[in-house]
Amino acid sequence: MKNKRMFGFELVRGAAAILVALAVGTVFIFLSSDEPMTALRYLLIGPIVSLKNGVASFNTQGFYTILAAMIPTIFTGLAVCVMFSSNQFNLAGEGIVMVGGFVAALCGIYIHMNTSWHAVVCIAAAAVIGGIIMLVPALLKVKLGASEMVTSLMLNYICMYLVLHFLNYNFADRSKGSTQTYAFADTAKIGSMVPGGSKLSWGFVVALVFVVIVALFMYRTRWGYAIRMIGINQAFSKYSGMKVGGTIVLAQVIGGVLSGMGGGIEVLGRYSTFLWKELPGYGWTGITIAILAKNNPWLVPLAAFFIAYLNKGCTLMATYSDVPSEMIDIIQAAIFLFFAAEQFLSGYRQKIVVRAARADLAKEAAEAKGGAE
Amino acid sequence: MEQNDIIVQMKGITKVYPNGIAANQSVDFSVRRGEIHALMGENGAGKSTLMKMLFGLEQPTEGEIIVNGQKVSLTSPTVAIAHGIGMVHQHFMLVPSLTVAENIVLGMVPKKSGLFIDYKKALEITREYSEKFNLAVNPDAKVMDIPVGMKQKVEILKALIRGAKILILDEPTAVLTTQETAELFKELIHLKEQGYTIVFISHKLNEIKQITDRLTIMRGGKSMGVYETASITEQEISRLMVGRDVVLDVEKDEPHPTDVVLSVKNLQYTNEWNKRMLDDVSFSVRKGEILGVAGVEGNGQRELVDMLFNLNRPDGGSATVNGINIIGMPQYRIRDLGVSLVPEDRMTYGIAEAASIEENVISDRFTQKRFNKGPMFNMKAIHAESDRLIEDYTVLCKSRKQKVKMLSGGNIQKVVVAREFSSNPTLIIADQPTRGIDVGATEFIRKKLVDLSRAGAAVLLVSADLNEVMELSDSLIVLYGGKIAAYFEDTSQLDDIVMGEYMLGLKRQSDEEIGRVCHEE
Amino acid sequence: MWSQLFDTIFKAEFLFSVIRITAPILFAALGALIAEKAGVINIGLEGIMMISALFGVLFSYWTQSWLVGVIGALVVGILLGLMMGFFSLKLKTDIILAGIAVNMMGSGGTIFLLYMFTGMRGNTGALVSPNILIPTVNIPLIKDIPVVGEILSGHSVLTYVAFIAVYLIWLLLYRTPVGLNIRAVGENPNAASSVGVSVLKMKYIAISISGALAGLGGAFMSMYYSQGWNSGMVAGRGFIALAAEAMGRCEPVGTMLSSLLFGLAQALRTKVSGLQGVSSYLVSLIPYVVTILGLVVYAASTLKKVKKIKVQKAQSEVQK
Repeated sequence: MKNKRMFGFELVRGAAAILVALAVGTVFIFLSSDEPMTALRYLLIGPIVSLKNGVASFNTQGFYTILAAMIPTIFTGLAVCVMFSSNQFNLAGEGIVMVGGFVAALCGIYIHMNTSWHAVVCIAAAAVIGGIIMLVPALLKVKLGASEMVTSLMLNYICMYLVLHFLNYNFADRSKGSTQTYAFADTAKIGSMVPGGSKLSWGFVVALVFVVIVALFMYRTRWGYAIRMIGINQAFSKYSGMKVGGTIVLAQVIGGVLSGMGGGIEVLGRYSTFLWKELPGYGWTGITIAILAKNNPWLVPLAAFFIAYLNKGCTLMATYSDVPSEMIDIIQAAIFLFFAAEQFLSGYRQKIVVRAARADLAKEAAEAKGGAE
Repeated sequence: MEQNDIIVQMKGITKVYPNGIAANQSVDFSVRRGEIHALMGENGAGKSTLMKMLFGLEQPTEGEIIVNGQKVSLTSPTVAIAHGIGMVHQHFMLVPSLTVAENIVLGMVPKKSGLFIDYKKALEITREYSEKFNLAVNPDAKVMDIPVGMKQKVEILKALIRGAKILILDEPTAVLTTQETAELFKELIHLKEQGYTIVFISHKLNEIKQITDRLTIMRGGKSMGVYETASITEQEISRLMVGRDVVLDVEKDEPHPTDVVLSVKNLQYTNEWNKRMLDDVSFSVRKGEILGVAGVEGNGQRELVDMLFNLNRPDGGSATVNGINIIGMPQYRIRDLGVSLVPEDRMTYGIAEAASIEENVISDRFTQKRFNKGPMFNMKAIHAESDRLIEDYTVLCKSRKQKVKMLSGGNIQKVVVAREFSSNPTLIIADQPTRGIDVGATEFIRKKLVDLSRAGAAVLLVSADLNEVMELSDSLIVLYGGKIAAYFEDTSQLDDIVMGEYMLGLKRQSDEEIGRVCHEE
Repeated sequence: MWSQLFDTIFKAEFLFSVIRITAPILFAALGALIAEKAGVINIGLEGIMMISALFGVLFSYWTQSWLVGVIGALVVGILLGLMMGFFSLKLKTDIILAGIAVNMMGSGGTIFLLYMFTGMRGNTGALVSPNILIPTVNIPLIKDIPVVGEILSGHSVLTYVAFIAVYLIWLLLYRTPVGLNIRAVGENPNAASSVGVSVLKMKYIAISISGALAGLGGAFMSMYYSQGWNSGMVAGRGFIALAAEAMGRCEPVGTMLSSLLFGLAQALRTKVSGLQGVSSYLVSLIPYVVTILGLVVYAASTLKKVKKIKVQKAQSEVQK
């Protein structure tokens, strides 16, 4: 009775939240730019529409670039979906992405394989290391009750500095101007899916494959089910006979595996050496994506596309007009605040619920009357 | 007797909740100035609801309240306090890390230099009131460090300091030891002598007899009358308090109990407030029988059920299912032994309300082979199972995908029992299985329990509903004060009066008679 | 290397730097403390520090007065706190998500705001001049005491404010009616509302003060410590402050002590990284590793305490 209507309402509410967030961004654009309309145009349609000599056309390369940008964030988005589903605010995706990328790069350089299984091995290593690292905040939470939020935040910095240390001291290619590793073998690279400079590697396909895998895992396996139930009501899950501690750790480890994989695939797909000098930021984006997708893996690609689109728009805006690209953070923050606000537009929800209840009562009364006669 | 001075009068009070349950029906209740008046009744009789309305926590659906001769509308506790009504709740409203004095003056803190707490003044006020009312408290001690008896005194002082002339005490002795109770009574009499009026909610006969002047008995939401304490006997009170207007007729075959399934021996438990909640409790439940656990709530039932499902640990004693000790066993292993629990707190333990009916109904069996094909769920099998359960248990819903929180209370409970009853249990522990749900669901669940029992399950039924525990059980034990007060092998011969006497502690069987509930050897 | 290390640590100069480094962490940790006392978790401290730091520099530049800059940063902190309060208390956004949102605003949004207000990108190098930085104070008598004087005198005004704030917060929480209400609301909101204390109002007050403190911490960073604003300067201090507050057992003095511990870790890192043959990266790890270890120790000891109580109770039962 109420399910469909509530779903429709939630959709509207989500859309409204996004619109409000964009409106907030627009306000800032108008405040800061000398040519707001141009900036806005670059932001909103720039990513896939290019104007050459006054003729608008679909910018295929731009479209591919957006898809390429989605690759790491789909993975981190999936990771956060799984971790948040178990009701753990684990924010370590950031650091693990960097570690994953580094490990994959090292495997690409120092492990010698001649087949294209090389890339698979590198990424697998990244995934495994990611999962192991995630054991730290997970076990500390489950065994000692230590806040996974603080430990995971600290872990991000630890990961970053460890990678930077090894990068600078042990694995740097001294012949190059900026700090980076040696180039990894071609067999380790992930090839491009399409011609042109979009960097859309086959990693995109892998990402989509994992969307399916994670979605099926969460909704169609006993482990995913347990993770979700524990996130909804831990007491109930324990009483029903689920092993709560182990499942929570499992969810975090999966998050680590996915984040590590994302980092590895991104590095091997986009670059030829490892050259990140700081945390790449995919972890935080992953959180935004998970929130937009309401922890539903099926919706992650859509949310990732939306964020990548906006990101591209902000970059274009920064390049061709005078608005800094960091606008994306302001929009993301606004999305966070409004999208996750339960009481946003709650007044309308109340009205809908009351209207629906009245309609149901009227229906029942009519049926009762009809039956009695 | 003097006809004088009615300080509080509640006329024709009716309270109907949105879900249709009538907690109070046309209740008349009046209190004379300066008396100690007991409000008595079993759980669910409506006495707490009535007093909540007197303290402004709820509003009556019909009826009026007159305080000091004035008709009043008590829309909130602040309004009630302004009319001189104070309430000491069963669960204390105190801030543990604050001192006694700070708790007492919270919200009306004396200030010095406009900015700071005049702590000395707060201590002074506390001491002043403490001495005036003979309620000994340690003003400087943190509330988390003081004993329960003193916590209660702090609550009383809180009410008095805010100008209460009428004190409502909700089951005040539930958390007190015998000595603390005696102290409390001394203080209450002292207050009465100073002209204060006290309403004392309780179901403990001996206490009522000790200090009250008059008593009002409630049963099933209605008032059974007001009586002078001195001129009514405990038996008469018991008869009025514990009784059924309509006796439930449950059709069931004769029980043929066989082997012992659950064997509880010498269970002991003293809670964090040093109250002995379980005192050497021993009983057993056999296959094919429904053993009821009767008693007014607060006599150890809660603790007993918690121990059996590892939500709490006893200080001593054992509990075995088919010979295997279940004390301290993780829940998934208890379930593996064939034990099911219908919990009292269904929203916390019984269901995950944001999840679907299907997800709720398979939560104890989703790892089984028949529901899994390799790593994946066998969705067909799971759908078939949930559909079957929804049908068998007549859960009224749109589909198995509907979120449980959308269902009515009765249907939510049906989801719980659909899961718990269908796992082919050897032992079913049902804790208040039909509380707060509609008639249809109630009848259904009760019938299912009987069917399961006759098919061979052992059933432990804990219920504060007299009808339920008397008519549904084949045999029953009565818990009073953490001990078993009686064992009745054949409930069909029981009458309300006898039940009342055991439930209220007027009578106790001999150890030998009680010992017959242990069926081993 | 070790002798070099010991040489540097036991010098007054080092202890001076510890105090200096602790101050911003302390501000943020006190902010976390007062929010938690009211039952509100403020993880947006990092973001608030970043944004307030920026506005501190901007305000001081526009008015050429450091005092206005500091006050501006404080006010911005309060506004951000109120905003978090509004979203979490009124619109029911999870307070943790609200905090993450503020952190996002703090990391990228600040660069944007800097551009919006000044047209500059990345840092405020050109804006800052010595006269608008927070001045240092040489305390008259104390500065002449050997060793101690070197350690204690000569800090910036805000450094002293940070440590005085420990006392002030203590005073607020334990000696004023507002503080009493805040503590009551955080521990047992039912008890508080039953005596007429407005739970919402107290939470708003607490989160505003929390934002104000973080704001001061931000001002400290940009107007004294780093002498200018740049986008990487807070570097997780807001998060370390959370750990410091947790380890401080939710008490002002404890919070100060654990903040000092983390300040020590960071000071060590600065000192050690100057030494030969030591990787600055490994050294940068120190504060974060110390934080996790500190949390582990704290969590383990709390667990032990709970177990001990259970065992004690069981034993006393046996003795009966």
